[in-house]
Amino acid sequence: MKLDVPIYEIRSLKHSYAGRLVLEIQHLKVQPASIVGLIGPNGSGKSTLLRLLGLIERPTMGQIFFNGRSIGPFSDEARFQVTLLPQEPFLMKRSVFKNVSYGLKLRNNKDDLIGRVNEALSLVGLASEEFVQRPWYALSGGEAQRVALAARLALKPKVLLLDEPTASVDAASAQLIKEASLRARQELGTTLIVASHDWQWLYEVCDDILHLFNGKIFGSRRETMVFGPWQELETGRWGRKLSDSQELLVPSPPDKDAAAVIDVFSIQDAESREAPNDVCLRGIVSRLTLERNSGCIFVTIVAGNVPFVVGLSQQQFQDRPLFPGKTIFIRYSLDRIRWI
Amino acid sequence: MNFILDGFFQAIDLLITGNAETYSAILVTVRVSSYSIGSSLILGIPLGFCLGYFDFSGKKPIRTIVDTLMALPTVFIGLLVYAFLTNRGPLGNFSLLFTLPGIAIGQTILALPIVIGLSATAIESMEKKLRITIMSMGANRRQLFLTSLWESRHALLAGAIAAYGRVMTEVGISMMVGGNIKWHTRTITTAIALETNKGQFGMGVALGLVLLTIAFCVNFSVSFLRRRY
Repeated sequence: MKLDVPIYEIRSLKHSYAGRLVLEIQHLKVQPASIVGLIGPNGSGKSTLLRLLGLIERPTMGQIFFNGRSIGPFSDEARFQVTLLPQEPFLMKRSVFKNVSYGLKLRNNKDDLIGRVNEALSLVGLASEEFVQRPWYALSGGEAQRVALAARLALKPKVLLLDEPTASVDAASAQLIKEASLRARQELGTTLIVASHDWQWLYEVCDDILHLFNGKIFGSRRETMVFGPWQELETGRWGRKLSDSQELLVPSPPDKDAAAVIDVFSIQDAESREAPNDVCLRGIVSRLTLERNSGCIFVTIVAGNVPFVVGLSQQQFQDRPLFPGKTIFIRYSLDRIRWI
Repeated sequence: MNFILDGFFQAIDLLITGNAETYSAILVTVRVSSYSIGSSLILGIPLGFCLGYFDFSGKKPIRTIVDTLMALPTVFIGLLVYAFLTNRGPLGNFSLLFTLPGIAIGQTILALPIVIGLSATAIESMEKKLRITIMSMGANRRQLFLTSLWESRHALLAGAIAAYGRVMTEVGISMMVGGNIKWHTRTITTAIALETNKGQFGMGVALGLVLLTIAFCVNFSVSFLRRRY
């Protein structure tokens, strides 16, 4: 595999269900051995994108390339190298051993089957002597999800696609799933593409984060997306009343339910504006997250009931120490708001 | 009421003493129903899979037709098959009328819509997540087909049993296409009809008991297999 060839490349992709466009991506590249996070509300197209990348569905239009070769469902070029873990755990009606070894048998890869199944189970924190002969119906939700992940890890895939892997499991299972996924990347150089609402985890581990909304990628930066409905306020300006009575102002929206992408460019200790179109909101620091690759610290500030994310360099953070619970002001410009 | 009780005891006697005529009918029934259920499963399961799995234009009308054919009257099938197999019919050259393969053809036509319809229902009710799971593990089309069938095995088995029960208990096809020829094409059901007409309730009840026993054995085997797999 050439290093300059992306493991995935998407060109002019459109995907529809029953005539309704659910995903549209003009161009996207994913580098080998990277971790890419997908963030977006329900129905934004995250799962659809993962199913397309996982060779489950064929795009209505456009092409997906894997290591430079066009692929689709059942493509021999990729089907043994890519695997998808769906959001809800699903096991076939057979024992844990047969579930985990199923993919290996498909590959006619039957050497030391028992040892490899045991290894995969231990990666997800399941004792093989306790679980290996259990039938599919004798597992909890978290155990089933971990068995499903073990079945994928046993394949030592080039690409592991995870769709909300921790959404329906308890905290302990979630931690084990996260650790096992990252080990695959560290030990095997597996490319991970993860859709999750766990922003904090994604910020910590991902090389790149893609924001999806209404089937479109609208940016990979840490911007804040605020949903409508918008209304004309008493002052004659457009915006939303927040739960603490502050007014979140926006320019005139294209429609009342449009989503605004707000780029907060300043945090400050006191309320002040430098330009007429600046808006200042009071908020409380709720979370600090370190982005592993850049060393950047992301501060989540909740104004009313809307969380805003602001990225700070190490130096900026040292200049203005922040901690959860601290009251702070954020400033954004109406001129820089984008609508999607 | 005594004649029913007498018939019951006569039935036990016929079975224990190994009455040749009774066992001939049993053998013919088992043979011909095995041919027909075997061929309808071989043809019907792949067709049912396609009908249940794929979305294509005309799927709904085809499904409606298959569901309607599940209720085909056996005498009507018997009439059609007779018309085709008789010397004047298009398949007359094969000399299949009044033979076991002739009955098997008719019974296959009877069982096929049941196998297709119930297989399609089994595949349709298969969770979409199963297909995603199988494909995400790297299966090709053949492996997807075989694993899907295996995962739907209980529902498919139920369909096969329903079809087998219909084949075993039909009279019209065996009577019209087979001709109810003693030692040759006389099945359990045609024998029951004949013996009852002759007033021989004992033989009729005996054969009825055999039918029940075969049905019990099939269901017992199936529930054993279900527990095992």
